[in-house]
Amino acid sequence: MVAGSNIRHKKLATSNRISAYLLHHLQSLRFSLRKIYEAPATTIMTVAVIGITLSLPGGFYLFLKNIDAISGDFRSSSQISLFLDLDLSEKQARALDKKIAKIELVDSTRFISRDKSLEDFRQDSGFGKSIDTLSTNPLPHTIIVEPVEADTFAVRNLLKSLQAMPEVKIAKLDTEWLERLYTIIEIARRSVAIITILFACAVLLIIGNTIRLDIQNRYQEIIVTKLIGATDAFIRRPFLYGGVWYGLLGGIISWLIVEIGYLAISGPLERLNLLYKSDMNLITFSFHDFIILITSSTLLGLAGSWIAVARHLNQIEPT
Amino acid sequence: MIEFHNVTKRFEGGYEALSNVSLKLDEGQMAFITGHSGAGKSTLLKIIALIEKPTRGQALLNRVNLNTMSRRRIPYIRRNIGIIFQDHQLLFDRSVFDNVALPLHIQGYRPQEIAKRTRAALDKVGLLHKEKSLPITLSGGEQQRVGIARAVVHKPMLLLADEPTGNLDPELSREIMQIFVDFNQVGVTVLVASHDLDLIDELDKPRITLNRGKLILNDLEDAPQEADGGWQ
Repeated sequence: MVAGSNIRHKKLATSNRISAYLLHHLQSLRFSLRKIYEAPATTIMTVAVIGITLSLPGGFYLFLKNIDAISGDFRSSSQISLFLDLDLSEKQARALDKKIAKIELVDSTRFISRDKSLEDFRQDSGFGKSIDTLSTNPLPHTIIVEPVEADTFAVRNLLKSLQAMPEVKIAKLDTEWLERLYTIIEIARRSVAIITILFACAVLLIIGNTIRLDIQNRYQEIIVTKLIGATDAFIRRPFLYGGVWYGLLGGIISWLIVEIGYLAISGPLERLNLLYKSDMNLITFSFHDFIILITSSTLLGLAGSWIAVARHLNQIEPT
Repeated sequence: MIEFHNVTKRFEGGYEALSNVSLKLDEGQMAFITGHSGAGKSTLLKIIALIEKPTRGQALLNRVNLNTMSRRRIPYIRRNIGIIFQDHQLLFDRSVFDNVALPLHIQGYRPQEIAKRTRAALDKVGLLHKEKSLPITLSGGEQQRVGIARAVVHKPMLLLADEPTGNLDPELSREIMQIFVDFNQVGVTVLVASHDLDLIDELDKPRITLNRGKLILNDLEDAPQEADGGWQ
């Protein structure tokens, strides 16, 4: 006995099958859009919850991005100040300056003579008269060294080798506070990563649950379509499209929430800028960020609905 | 078309819906399954429709073994069958046309083809003028006819009907049965479960009678008994 010898498999020719496949995708897409249109209240609520949930990591991300931009200015300013021996003549000091400038790790140097230092101090400090009473200039020649790299390890090595020079009395690298700042930023960065993961899971659950309810509501329809020969993929498709729509719309709403939030704080921030005479610019989502946000929320929607469909659709069988 | 070899279906808890049933329905035949409620009529149909699997014995549809059918293949096998339910199982959120067109959608027909075949099926059951109506606005007999149109729209080789006239008055029941006879006359194999004995008597068709899961009357030719290797 040859199994399947007689039975028609009712599969169409390949070209027809591909166009039928595309056609059903189109129909599923239209169908899922119609569902949204027919039940706007449910859709709006689900999408709003997703939007609000995603706006939190989105907002934190922007906050971090701004902090990063500010701290980036500091990063480039990890200079080393060399205070030279007081016995060094200006000629010797200038020779040393040239020597240091040739070191590989050094980007540039700036020489400040003792006299210049004193003059600057006189002008800036307002102690002009008291300084005049000094018999000798207490300030040393100074070389400001600009390292090539901002990398702390390399800079520290450079600092060590400079410190070892006999002409150098004190080599000073004031980066400790910078390191603290970087550590704090790193903590914030990881916290944002954790929050993002948690909220992504929340979105998965929200979408999964919405799709699960959707599946329950269409229980009868699923049974009937299975009985008349629908494949699992056929039944799955409209639900997956539904998840994609939820994710996409939720992503757009979260973007709107973050943008509006930043608009709201941009006023006082500009005033703060004026008060501090800083030229800090508020950074919002770039087009690149926007695309990433929308893509990941859409993928979350697809994943959430996929989980729900995989868990619940197989359990529905005609009895 | 359909062969049962010593098919037994036992449900959880030990209840035996079918006991050792053997039968054979040839292509192009039409037969009735009769018996009291709980006799096993529905279970027999469900095994053919791949809704239930036999506990023991072997069920074949066109020589394909239904016992060992993989989940992936089930939809494609079901496309050869048209099923009519007592409660017609129409989807109330869409029009009569869309209900009848559903099997064609599933099988990926083109829209023009779908429209043509759907209208032809509706015409056959006399409901072409109701294609835009919602099923809820139709009478019980009309709803059942929509169910029949949906079952035949994709031209299946086999029609299964489970108590198709259960909720209908005698006049409508006769009409519905006549539709099945008409389909049988154009070559479709038809198997109808019904306890409407008066109506069955009017139609001169072979009968299978079940009583508590056992076959007590079989007008059909006996199933070949040599198939003793049919244990699952």
